[in-house]
Amino acid sequence: MIRTVAGAVLLVAVLACAPLPLSDFWIFVLVQMMDYALYAVAFNLLLGYGGMLAFGFATFFGLGAYTLGILQVRLGFDVVPAVLAAPLVASLFAAVIGYFCVRLSGIYFGMLTFAFQMLAYAVFIKSYDLAGGDDGLHGLVVPGIVGTPRGIYYVSLAIVALCLWVLARIGSSPFGLALRAQRSNVNKSLAIGINVKLEKWLAFVIASFFAGVSGALSGLATQSVFPDWLDWRASAVPIVMAILGGTQRFIGPVIGACVYVVLQTVITGMTEYWSMIMGVLIIGIVVLMPNGIVGFFRLRHE
Amino acid sequence: MDALFAALPWLTNPTVIIRQVMAGLANGMLLFLVASGLSLIFGLSRVINFGHGALFMIGAYLAYSVVGTNSPDLVTFIAMLFAATIGLFVVGVAFEMAILRRIYNSPQAFQLLVTFGLVLIAGDAVRLIWGPAEKSIPLPPIIDDVIQLFGVTFPLYRALLIAIGAAVCLALWWLLYRTHWGVLVRAATADREMLRALGVNVRRIYTVIFGVGAALAGLAGALMAPIVSIGPGLHADVLTEAFVVVAIGGLGSFPGALVGALLVGQANAFGILSFPQMSIVVPFVLMAVVLILRPRGLMGHIE
Repeated sequence: MIRTVAGAVLLVAVLACAPLPLSDFWIFVLVQMMDYALYAVAFNLLLGYGGMLAFGFATFFGLGAYTLGILQVRLGFDVVPAVLAAPLVASLFAAVIGYFCVRLSGIYFGMLTFAFQMLAYAVFIKSYDLAGGDDGLHGLVVPGIVGTPRGIYYVSLAIVALCLWVLARIGSSPFGLALRAQRSNVNKSLAIGINVKLEKWLAFVIASFFAGVSGALSGLATQSVFPDWLDWRASAVPIVMAILGGTQRFIGPVIGACVYVVLQTVITGMTEYWSMIMGVLIIGIVVLMPNGIVGFFRLRHE
Repeated sequence: MDALFAALPWLTNPTVIIRQVMAGLANGMLLFLVASGLSLIFGLSRVINFGHGALFMIGAYLAYSVVGTNSPDLVTFIAMLFAATIGLFVVGVAFEMAILRRIYNSPQAFQLLVTFGLVLIAGDAVRLIWGPAEKSIPLPPIIDDVIQLFGVTFPLYRALLIAIGAAVCLALWWLLYRTHWGVLVRAATADREMLRALGVNVRRIYTVIFGVGAALAGLAGALMAPIVSIGPGLHADVLTEAFVVVAIGGLGSFPGALVGALLVGQANAFGILSFPQMSIVVPFVLMAVVLILRPRGLMGHIE
């Protein structure tokens, strides 16, 4: 425990100094890493803790980003209330559809989240006045020193660190334990009085809240909202990150997100056919490292 | 009632209705070809193939390779259909044997990622091989015609699509329900361990079914090729609609794939008449409603 806390403090300290020698490009890469780390950890609350594989999790990342974008670009809100509204809208939507989704299990749960994602995608891509249609929204403004790449970096670092700390607390709380208990055995959990549906619904809403935060931060970092973020293919990204890092440890998806962003940055720099290389890597890793990167090295170590 | 007619003027126009029913049938039959493969593969192996649209897309590109940009004769056109079907059968068998069979016992998320890897690879592979520009292929002049039916004029190709879809559907039904091989497939779907214990080569059934599913997607891609523009993004809409179809019909159900495809075809055809702006949400609303009220789908079995 002390080691974990010390490690986390050290990591934040290193990250706080990191932008000093870096160019804007690499600062942006670090921001993306942090956003995606939060996104992946939130997703893993469902997959790793809850055993719920959502095919449509990008819905909440996209809703967070669109909430920020629409409030800022279309309705002229200040950046602070717009960022605060993003996770609220995402988790409110999750509260409604989650009511229906958590009644299903396995593949049917996944398919229903997929259906809702496609609904959201269809609505946003057809709403030119509100959401910019297939262009998305551009020109989000962050005023003052916060709007510089370094400003965005420190804001993201603070928010992501806070959110990850909260998520870690949630994961090890009685709620997190109950969530894991129902994943390993639903009937036993019901028998000892765990309200399985309620736990799953709460996990769904909480995960969506933090996905909304991460979507809003991505909107800030790129000053845009892209409809691709809501596309069904976007929902594979958190799955890739969680599986890459391993789903059974809190830190797994964080590592998965960093590896994913580094790979994407490096390969995009080398070739325009980066998605092909990514596809080969994903298949290779899944077939060869079924325990994720963290699990792979732990097993070799032991 | 008058308000309804005012909002939906096509309700009083039989010509429009007949034309949309036919368009919906043609669309539904193509969807059936894609969705039946998806459903067969899922029923047998429990793998949801996110790469199914990619297989469809490769079929369309293969069709382009055979036909090119000049107007083909009928023989070339038929050769193109066979080339896409057989070509995708080979691709499907190779993918199953090289990769998919290693992960049948892995968690669902792993299977999803492997088929998603196929999506990523296929999108770039077609750009690498055929270039990023959109392609289109012409119909043979003899098919590029119109016919009269119920006093309404249709493209001949639309009627042909319906006929080919129906023929493939019948052939599949015969294979699955009237041959020894079909018995084995259905038995493996119900209980693969038992079938293996009885000495049947279950692995080969998995391989062949994935090949057949891929071949059906390839055939659908080739059939669709003359009426769409063929580009690296072609797979996305097909995949999402095929998902809608299998969810509505029931995951793993062959008759469900037919019912679902016909429903979605009609929903598309009349959705675009009724709410031209928002017609693309119609299939997804249907999918969500069916999953909420009846998760196993209209024709699926309780698990």
